[in-house]
Amino acid sequence: MHVIEVEGLSKTFRVKRKEKGMKGSIQAIFKPRTEEIRAVKEVSFTVDEGEMLAFIGPNGAGKSTTIKMLTGILYPDGGNVKVLGIDPTKKRKQLACQIGTVFGQKEQLWTHLTPYDNFRFFGAIYDIPDGEIDRRIKELSEAFELSGFINTPVRNLSLGQRIRCEIAASLIHRPKVLFLDEPTIGLDPVVKENIRSLIRQMNREFHTTIFLTSHDIGDIEKLCRRVIIVNSGQIVLDDSMEHLKFSDASLENIIMKIYQEKGEEARVL
Amino acid sequence: MRKYAVIYRSVLMENLQYAANIALGFVSYFIFIFVFINLWGYMYAEPGTRIGGYTKEQMIWYAMITEMIWFGARSGTVAGQASSDIRGGNIAYLMNKPYHYTLYILTRYTGEWSIRLPMYMVLAVAVGITMVGQLPGFGLPALFASAVSILLGITINGVFKLCISLMSFWIEDSTPFQWLYDKLILILGTVFPIEIFPKALQPLIRLTPIYTVCYGPAKLVVDFHGDQYLEILMAQLLYLAVGCGLMFFVYGKGVKKLYVNGG
Repeated sequence: MHVIEVEGLSKTFRVKRKEKGMKGSIQAIFKPRTEEIRAVKEVSFTVDEGEMLAFIGPNGAGKSTTIKMLTGILYPDGGNVKVLGIDPTKKRKQLACQIGTVFGQKEQLWTHLTPYDNFRFFGAIYDIPDGEIDRRIKELSEAFELSGFINTPVRNLSLGQRIRCEIAASLIHRPKVLFLDEPTIGLDPVVKENIRSLIRQMNREFHTTIFLTSHDIGDIEKLCRRVIIVNSGQIVLDDSMEHLKFSDASLENIIMKIYQEKGEEARVL
Repeated sequence: MRKYAVIYRSVLMENLQYAANIALGFVSYFIFIFVFINLWGYMYAEPGTRIGGYTKEQMIWYAMITEMIWFGARSGTVAGQASSDIRGGNIAYLMNKPYHYTLYILTRYTGEWSIRLPMYMVLAVAVGITMVGQLPGFGLPALFASAVSILLGITINGVFKLCISLMSFWIEDSTPFQWLYDKLILILGTVFPIEIFPKALQPLIRLTPIYTVCYGPAKLVVDFHGDQYLEILMAQLLYLAVGCGLMFFVYGKGVKKLYVNGG
């Protein structure tokens, strides 16, 4: 069963352009110039239930824009999206109850509250009954080993502890699909490994579909069974990890080569 | 509603840690009021004088109530935070939850003033009673009517400030518009009652948010009349309905133009 269906998805941004120097700044007031950037160009793919998919590409390839359209944050200019059978642009709030998101570079936790209060807060906004919230907090606290700092204000936690809490908070409502946008960014190797094993555990126990973007080869190699590579807004490769690894070269070299070769092709197209 | 109640409770928990910081603002409030007491003391040097129909006590209490609303409703959430959420793209992560972003911001704002306003209210009453004296004719009906009116006025203020912040979907920076709105309220709304202004200007001022945010609630405290209460209440409800309609409309249009770059 497909939990994500994307067909011909496109997004264009209009970005301001300014000539250099003071002259350019003055010109920009009277004669503002803009340029169209096609961030995503007719992308199509599907993701099955329980799948762990790496959606990767170089910076500016259109990964995060795609995630934001899949979660209803951005409105596509063209194409169709269905996540769990819901159109994110039309029923964003309904979809929000069934998906979880972790953006590694953004905080969703309230920093002055403790993780426990944050979990209670997120549980309540997802309309989970109080007794059930407590049961889930206990379960997540054990799975993510949060008991040592669950009552410490988030602002006093280390980055690794905070990311563990961010992921736990995004799971409080048991989402069917979890979007992870660079969840291990800035973490040390030991914490990265902990986070990966938690993601694996979550997928195994709750059959959660994982949609992961990361620049970390370890995340991709150790977690995902399928890889989609995007470059210049287009899909340049959609293959199984097994197939990609069927080579003498390291996964990192293979991906680098695809970024460079296919990136040029995508730009020409 | 439960989710908004939880947001409200969380903001209270967060802001209670800053009660001491809020109390530091008392100094500015006290300076303002001290200046007004002396200014009006000079203007009302002749016993029995009325200016614009107000006695000296009424005039000082008017300024104390409007300043209390002004200081009590000060919020970085409806102005700065909402605007920077939109410009910086952080709104993307707040929208992605099962609540309405604008109601989320307004609930946070309500949580903030729920702590600030009672603190300023205690200060205003203490300063007023010790330095000016009790207001003649202020009883339970005036207390009830003005409490409702103050809460509505503060909510209207939040809705309009949020509408200004939502302009950030189209313009680079909404701060100058916030500044204009704040100055309009501060200069034309908090310092003098509408009756002090030239007769030709008064109907115009009554059409601005000043009437529903500052003037109306303070007028009910200093000079309560049932018929005037109904007039102010109707104006506030109308303003709130129009403001909320505008807020949902602007947000609905703006969110489709959202541009979130990077990351």
